[in-house]
Amino acid sequence: MNGGLSGQPSNFIEWFTDLENRASAAPIPEQMWLTVWHSAVAVLVVIVLAVPLAVVLAHHRRGELAASWIINIGRAVPTITIVGLLVIVSLRNGFGLVPWPIIIALVLLGLPPAFTNTYAAVRGVEPSAVSAAQAMGFSHTQVMLRVELPLALPVIFAGVRTAAVQIVATEPLAAFFGAEGLGAYLRSGLSTRDFAEVQAGAVLVAGVAIAVELGLILAGRLVLPEGVRRSARTSRAARRLSRQAAPATT
Amino acid sequence: MTRRHALAWGGGAVALVVAALWARAQIAGLDVETQATNPIVRWEWVFLREETRTELWDATYQHLELTFIAVGAGTVISAALSAVALRLRWSLTPITAFTGFLYTIPSVALFGLLRSRFGNVVAAEVALTSYTLLVLVRNMVAGIDGVPAAVTDAADGLGLSRSRRLLTVELPLALPVIVAGLRVATVTTVGLVGITAIIQLGGLGSLIFDGFGTQYYTKIVVGSVLSVLLAVVLDLMFNRLEILLTPWARRRVAQ
Repeated sequence: MNGGLSGQPSNFIEWFTDLENRASAAPIPEQMWLTVWHSAVAVLVVIVLAVPLAVVLAHHRRGELAASWIINIGRAVPTITIVGLLVIVSLRNGFGLVPWPIIIALVLLGLPPAFTNTYAAVRGVEPSAVSAAQAMGFSHTQVMLRVELPLALPVIFAGVRTAAVQIVATEPLAAFFGAEGLGAYLRSGLSTRDFAEVQAGAVLVAGVAIAVELGLILAGRLVLPEGVRRSARTSRAARRLSRQAAPATT
Repeated sequence: MTRRHALAWGGGAVALVVAALWARAQIAGLDVETQATNPIVRWEWVFLREETRTELWDATYQHLELTFIAVGAGTVISAALSAVALRLRWSLTPITAFTGFLYTIPSVALFGLLRSRFGNVVAAEVALTSYTLLVLVRNMVAGIDGVPAAVTDAADGLGLSRSRRLLTVELPLALPVIVAGLRVATVTTVGLVGITAIIQLGGLGSLIFDGFGTQYYTKIVVGSVLSVLLAVVLDLMFNRLEILLTPWARRRVAQ
């Protein structure tokens, strides 16, 4: 193994085991905790904001244009722009950087995939199921909560998963704007050309993102009833929307 | 539809003119040396400083260069992968899984990881290219698959060879879907290029990083606005391209 200044570990495995050299950096569990809680709060806010709104709009067949605009805007506005602008606003107003500007930026990132998936999912619910429920005297609220929401759940869950992975993958970027978190290893490694630290940071960041992805896929398998997962059908409108939607940009 | 378009374009043009006039008014009486009390936008930096123009142009050029090399390389690789997937059906699942896995790796991590082995540009391009594969392969395969069986049967009946059928029948019909994939890949890449600022590139993203480092808000605002603008312009261009490439779709609407 070449590379690295003398005394520095030359690859990330050595970096992980070399506790003495790493003493100056914040401990890994602490940084990981920061990344995880920033992301978790952002994901919760995204769910609370996006899912009910999208369900109601889709139930009433309103806002199709808005939905496709959200997809396009979400795709066109680069992550770094959102972070940069929030940094200005918060610094100028003396709010500081951590944690709220970061969390707000992450929420803005997560909203489009969660909203559009939920919208497309509810639009894609078998119309005959909705008609049957209405014929049985279900109110709008009952149709939404007892028919559309359960049937749309797998696709909604996929949207939330996309948003969550995107959020947790982007949080480390905040480290380059002075926050702490898993990205701090990448920041300090890149600035001191300590590539072992860069590799270690990259492995940690990627590990957390992949763990969240796999964990949520597994959770979906366990939580969602099998019948619902099978019967997830998509209407033409839903397919059109989902074709436009980009997968997560991390 | 046309009336709505006209209104949108007209509104956009009016907004642009108003914005330009307002910005000119902001710099009336200012010169490069003027030191305001750190406002969010220093208009004299944007309009009067000589170097700004070349700096912005260089940043935009780098942004476009990184984007197009990545999308170009991604298109070539995706075409090869799609050809394999279409010939050998069983390989579609592993190819999709692999490109999906690449997509899951956070860009910050991938840029860092590749940078520890390669130079800045190579690291950035390899990462950016790998992110385009998922969308491109998905749309290429879906596009060719979406060609109606009756059409391919007719082509076979005419005695076209397999490669000729692909080039003259299937590819033109699949073009809208493929171009839609290129559109998503390009716009996504424009967004990701900004993040390459962490490895000393970044195009317009580097303005945002510089601005943060030096607490110079103007740079952050200008970098942000220009990168959104770049994505929107490219998105619209691909939109026009889609319409141009599929004249029959418009004709059908007109009938």
